Amino acid sequence: MSKPTLLLIDDEERILRSLAMLFRGQYDLLATTDPGVALRAVTEQRVHVVVSDQRMPQMRGAELLKQVRARSPQTMRILLTGYSELDAVVASVNEGEIFRFVNKPWDAAELRDTVAQATNISASLFAAGPAAPPEPLQTETGQFVAPEVARPETILVLDDDAEIYHAVQDIVGTSQPVIWARDLDQALTALEREAIGVVVSELAVANHSVTGLLKMLKAERPEIVTIVLTPFADVSVFIGLINQGQVYRLLPKPLRRGAFSMSLASALRHHRVLRSAPALRAAHAVETIKAPEEVSVATRVMGFLSRMRRAGAAT
Amino acid sequence: MNAPLRSGSESPADLARLRLDVAPLAPTATVDAAAEAFLEAANARMLCLPIVANGRAVGTISRHTLNNVFLRRFGRELYGTRSVTTLMNAEPIRVSLSAPLDDAARFVAARLGAPITEDFVLEDDGRYAGMGVAVDLLSALQQRVDSAFTALKASQAQLVQSEKMASLGQMVAGVAHEINTPLGYVRNNVEMVASLFEDGVQTLGEHHKLLDMLTADDLDEAALAKQIARCSDLGASLADPELLADTRALLRDTLHGVDTIKDLVVNLRNFSRLDQSRVAEVSINDCIDQTLVIAHNAIKHRLEIIKRYGENLPAVRCSPSQINQVLLNLITNAGQAVGEDGGKLLLKTEADADWLRIHIQDNGRGIAAEHLAKIFDPFFTTKPVGQGTGLGLSISQQIVQAHGGTIHVVSELQRGTKFVISLPLRAASESALAA
Repeated sequence: MSKPTLLLIDDEERILRSLAMLFRGQYDLLATTDPGVALRAVTEQRVHVVVSDQRMPQMRGAELLKQVRARSPQTMRILLTGYSELDAVVASVNEGEIFRFVNKPWDAAELRDTVAQATNISASLFAAGPAAPPEPLQTETGQFVAPEVARPETILVLDDDAEIYHAVQDIVGTSQPVIWARDLDQALTALEREAIGVVVSELAVANHSVTGLLKMLKAERPEIVTIVLTPFADVSVFIGLINQGQVYRLLPKPLRRGAFSMSLASALRHHRVLRSAPALRAAHAVETIKAPEEVSVATRVMGFLSRMRRAGAAT
Repeated sequence: MNAPLRSGSESPADLARLRLDVAPLAPTATVDAAAEAFLEAANARMLCLPIVANGRAVGTISRHTLNNVFLRRFGRELYGTRSVTTLMNAEPIRVSLSAPLDDAARFVAARLGAPITEDFVLEDDGRYAGMGVAVDLLSALQQRVDSAFTALKASQAQLVQSEKMASLGQMVAGVAHEINTPLGYVRNNVEMVASLFEDGVQTLGEHHKLLDMLTADDLDEAALAKQIARCSDLGASLADPELLADTRALLRDTLHGVDTIKDLVVNLRNFSRLDQSRVAEVSINDCIDQTLVIAHNAIKHRLEIIKRYGENLPAVRCSPSQINQVLLNLITNAGQAVGEDGGKLLLKTEADADWLRIHIQDNGRGIAAEHLAKIFDPFFTTKPVGQGTGLGLSISQQIVQAHGGTIHVVSELQRGTKFVISLPLRAASESALAA
C-alpha cells in the first residue's frame, strides 16, 4: 500500500528540513517554499495533509489553506505559526476551516500524532468519494435561503444579549426554531430536549465561561456546528476553540448582519452535510481538553452527556 | 442679566467661597451715606456697594461714580443729600451663587469695562446674597488652570507611556515570531537527534554484548551469529549515509538557529539599551541597523531596504533608546504605507559641521496634503479605530525636539513620503534627554 502524502510549506528551509526528517519514512513528502507549487500539488495529486506556515512572502498561510480547501476539501489543513496573530487565527477558521492550529516551537510527538490523525481522517474522506458541495446556502447577494427540510433543526442561541437572539430569529424567519439560553443549565436542557443543529454562542454567559461546553459538545456531538460571536479577541481562547472545539466560525461583535447571516446559512448547510455523512464528522475530531478549569465545567456537562448517551442507547 | 445657571455641575461651592458679606445700602440712603460707607474698613476692597430693597439688589453705587461727582465743583453739595439711587448703576453684574466658576468668570469678564469700576452682585434664587470681587474670581480661575495643567501633564505622560507600551507590544509580537521560527526547528531537531542518540546508545550496548560474548570462555556459536546479525542490522540503520548526512545538516541548522536567536536577543538589548546609560555617544548608522532587525518582521517581504549611510559620521550624543523608538516608528510606518510588493525604503545618513541628518524615504501611498500639516498632532491618525494611537509621530517629534533637533516631512500621494530627522552634533542639555 502506498504511503499517505504530506505536504509541507514554509518560507524557512530549515523548518522544512526539520519537519521532513520528523516525518521521513512514514509519508510521501512534498516540501516547498512556494505556495504555487503547493496548490498545484493538491490539484494534481491526492494530498492527505498540508502543514503550512502562516507568514510567507507570497501568500499568508490562512489564505493558502483556504485555496487548498477549495481545490481539495478532503485534504486536512494544519497551520503552523510562529506568532498567533488574531487575524490569522480568525481567517484560518472562517476561511480555511483548518483542522489544527499549531504553535512554533511544536512538540515533535504531538505534531506527529496530529498529522497521523489528520491523515486517517483524510484517507477516509477520500475513500468516501467526492465531498458534498462545499459552498453554503446563500444567494449571490449573501441572502439567507432556508432550505426545505421536513424537520428543521433547532438553532440554540447562548448569549446574555437578547439582540443576538432576535437577530437570529429575524434572519431565519419561520423556517427554523430558535431557542434562547441564558445560562449553562438552560443550554443543557435545550440540548437534551431539542434536535439542535447549530449553536450560536458567546464565550461566556451569566458570567460563566461556556468554552468548555462548546468543546465537549463537539467531542460528543460532532454534527452540531458552532458559531462563536464575541467582542473578546483572545487568541489563545480562539486556538483552544479550534483545536478542541472545531468551532465553525469566529465572528466579532458588534454583530454584522450580512456576515452573520451568511455564516448561519453555511453552518446549517454544514450541519446537514455532517448529519447525512458520518465519515465527514471525523474531519472535525477534536483534541482532548487539557486545561483543568475547563475540566471542572466539564464534569457538569458530562452528567448531561451521559444522560444523552443513555437516551441514545435506549432508542 | 443673570449668569447662566447650571445646577449640579463641578464645585458649586466655588463662588460661595469668593462671596463677601457686604452690608447693602437702602435705596433711601443718601449719596453722602454711601460715601461714608466706602470709608469703612470692611468695605476697603469694594469698588461698588449694593443697593438692596426687599432683599433684592436694585443696583450698585460705585466708588468711581462718587469720585467723578465729588471731583466736580460743588459736586458733593449738589448730590450729597440726594438719594443714592440717582447715581446708581441699575444694571449691575448679577451672578447666581450656584453658577460654575468658569461660566461666572466668562460672564463677568464680558461685562467689566476698563478701568474696572464694578464688583459683581451674588444672588441666591434672585435674592441678594453678597458681593464678589473680580480679582478674586481671576485668582480662583488661575488655580483652576494650574491644577488642570498639572492633570494634563500627568495624563500626557500616561499617554506617552501607553504609546511606548503599544509600540513595545508590536515589537514583542514581531520578535516573538522571529524567535519562534528558529526555536521551532531547533527544538524539533534536538528531539530527533536525541532519539537518534538513544538508538546509538542501544547499538553500542549490543556491540558491547557482542564483545562480551567474543571474550567469554564458553562460546555459543549460534547466539554469537545472532548477535552479530543484530549488531550489523542496527549499525547499518544508524550508518545509513543519507541519515548521517541529514543529521549533520540538522545539527548545522540547529547551531544556525541558536545563533539566530542569540543575535536577536543581542539586538533587542542594543535596541532597548536597558543595560546602558540613558545618554551616550552613539553611531546613528548602528542605531538604524539595530532598529531594522527589530522591525524586520513588520517590513520583511514588504520593503526592499536601500542603505546609503554616510561614512565616518561623527557619533551623536543622544538617548539611543529614544532615537531607536523614533526610527522604529518611522520605519514601521513606511512598511505600512507601501503595498504588498514593490515597496522600497531608502535610509540615508549624512552630516555637516553642525548637524547629522537621517533620511527615511518610502515609495508608498503618500500622505494627503490636508493630512500632512496634522501628522505630528497628538491623536491624529488615519488608521481605523483601535489600530493606532495617533501618538507615534507626535512623540517622535517630541523626542527629536528634546534632542535639540528637528523632524521634517515631504510627501506626495502615490509617490511616497520622506522624513528627515536633523540632530545637532553639539548635543542638547543632559536634562532634556533624561526624561
